[in-house]
Amino acid sequence: MAASITRRRFVQGMGAGATLAGLGPALVGKAQAAGGPVVVGTWGGDYQNLMDQYIAQPIMAPIGYQIVFDSGLDTARKTKLLAEHPLPRGSMDVVALTHSGSYEMWKNDTLAELDLKKMPNFSHVIDKLRTPYSVPHIYTGRVILYNPKFVKDKPTSYADLWNPAYAGKVGVIDIQYQTTIESAAMISGGTMSNYEPGKAKLLELKKAGVKIYPTNEAMASALKTEEVWMCIMWKARGVMWQNAGIPIEMANPKEGIVLYVSDQVMAKNARNKDGAYAWLNGLLEPSAQVQFARGMGYNPTVNNVDIPADLKARIDFPADVTYINQDQDYLAKNDGALKDWWDKEFKA
Amino acid sequence: MAPASLLVLVFLALPMLLMLRYSFNSFVPGKFMVEAFTADNYVTLATDPYYRHVLGLTLTVSISVTILTLIVGWPVAQFLARTQSRHKGLLLLAVVLPLFAGNAVRAAGWMVAFSRQGLINGLLGALGLIDAPLDIMFTPTAVIIGIVSVNLSYVVLTLSSVIEGIDRRAEEAALSLGATPFETWRLVTLPLALPGLLAAGVLSFILSMNAYATPVLLGGPSFQMMAPVVADQVLQRANWPFGASLGFVLILITLLLTAGANWLVGHKYGR
Repeated sequence: MAASITRRRFVQGMGAGATLAGLGPALVGKAQAAGGPVVVGTWGGDYQNLMDQYIAQPIMAPIGYQIVFDSGLDTARKTKLLAEHPLPRGSMDVVALTHSGSYEMWKNDTLAELDLKKMPNFSHVIDKLRTPYSVPHIYTGRVILYNPKFVKDKPTSYADLWNPAYAGKVGVIDIQYQTTIESAAMISGGTMSNYEPGKAKLLELKKAGVKIYPTNEAMASALKTEEVWMCIMWKARGVMWQNAGIPIEMANPKEGIVLYVSDQVMAKNARNKDGAYAWLNGLLEPSAQVQFARGMGYNPTVNNVDIPADLKARIDFPADVTYINQDQDYLAKNDGALKDWWDKEFKA
Repeated sequence: MAPASLLVLVFLALPMLLMLRYSFNSFVPGKFMVEAFTADNYVTLATDPYYRHVLGLTLTVSISVTILTLIVGWPVAQFLARTQSRHKGLLLLAVVLPLFAGNAVRAAGWMVAFSRQGLINGLLGALGLIDAPLDIMFTPTAVIIGIVSVNLSYVVLTLSSVIEGIDRRAEEAALSLGATPFETWRLVTLPLALPGLLAAGVLSFILSMNAYATPVLLGGPSFQMMAPVVADQVLQRANWPFGASLGFVLILITLLLTAGANWLVGHKYGR
């Protein structure tokens, strides 16, 4: 049968088409508001893989958001935030930074103040990790790693790294210059707002033959080959190294546990703000948080997660430890000078 | 304007000019780059003993590497240039082959060889030459061996093409007139190959001055050459103004020394 269109039906059809065409942009706009790409600037490796596996795919995809990871160094992300600051729309929606990094970027006015109402999971965030501009994603604390085969008495203080019995068998990591100077300061009269006394203390360690390794991985290798017996490190990484068969135990320094927090923040000029809020909320989902504890040894930043008891025993700290927050303002102003001293005096 | 010149202008000259401008800005910790017009960065570079040491070390390593690559590369280049072997193509491929792997990959290979449980210590131990493993990693020796291995392919290829262009009859004439092989090489081959030697040397010198992956991976945290220090300023500290000034000083010194060597050789040999 040949298709026939009457004039009336043609006009009706045109009318419907016009209506749809008129509604079109509104519908598309609606769809974009409830979805679309969200660019997350982050570290690559395990961290990105876990985010993809436990947040991007199961939480974000079903509600229409496509997560695009922009992986690299956090210093590059900070530079990008600063360089793009004058632009109305930046290249990243969400940015993963250290706690120090997010403070520095907040002070430079590159981050959005977060509307907590748009992130229902934020109500579960542990108090000591909260800021108005960041979502704390994972955290751990700084401990002493030691090889029990050679270090018979479990260390109790950072001062134990200076024990002459271990001279030449202590390692420090080049990229951890800030926390190394800080640890030395904590046993030599310094404070979180004054690392200066730590410098002379570190020069004693240098005199005793401390070994300097370029990266965390190089330190792991030196611990594995028993080239060094002791170092300062984040507990989460210690857990990962234990999982990799490196012969180390961990000890909590009596000076206190300095916190390491990985934050995620929203750029002030984010293109997809709704998507960014959805992502930041997703980071705090208990189902995802438990996977970062399992996969990377970090503690959850929310209080509504059930971590299996055996895992909790390995990654968490005893109830009686003192947690210490770094003085971010001091670090933002002095980091360059600390690095200069490290390069010119300590490493020279 | 030719399209190629336009590309060079847009993608090389203009960004360089922008970097030059950045080098006169100032850096306030936590504030990235602050618009200014100050020579402070260059003054720091000239007066701070640390940066003078870094520059001195970079020059020492680059000059050592250049001399070594020329000494090691010449016999290989001469053999390649003069060989009548039907496998010459394969031999040339063997020289080019290392270039197929990136510098970082090659440095990783050296790391395996140089480590305390590595190939070299293993061999020396097995031969009974050492009781305890030697520390080869994170030493200047490791860096120099690493950069020489990177540069050798370029030097051998440059030298062999120049030696190939030298008329063998000139060497034969010298030999027939009673010159020893060494005299023939010193008085005939070497002066004729001088432009190639200079080109190969300049190439090796420039590559060494700008070496990044090899000193970082084989030299360790305490071995500071210019390129890693520039990268540290820009990538780690976000101090673009100082990083830019370091970069420009590196370019300027490389250019001056290269032009100086060119002039000296030309002047001495009347080229």
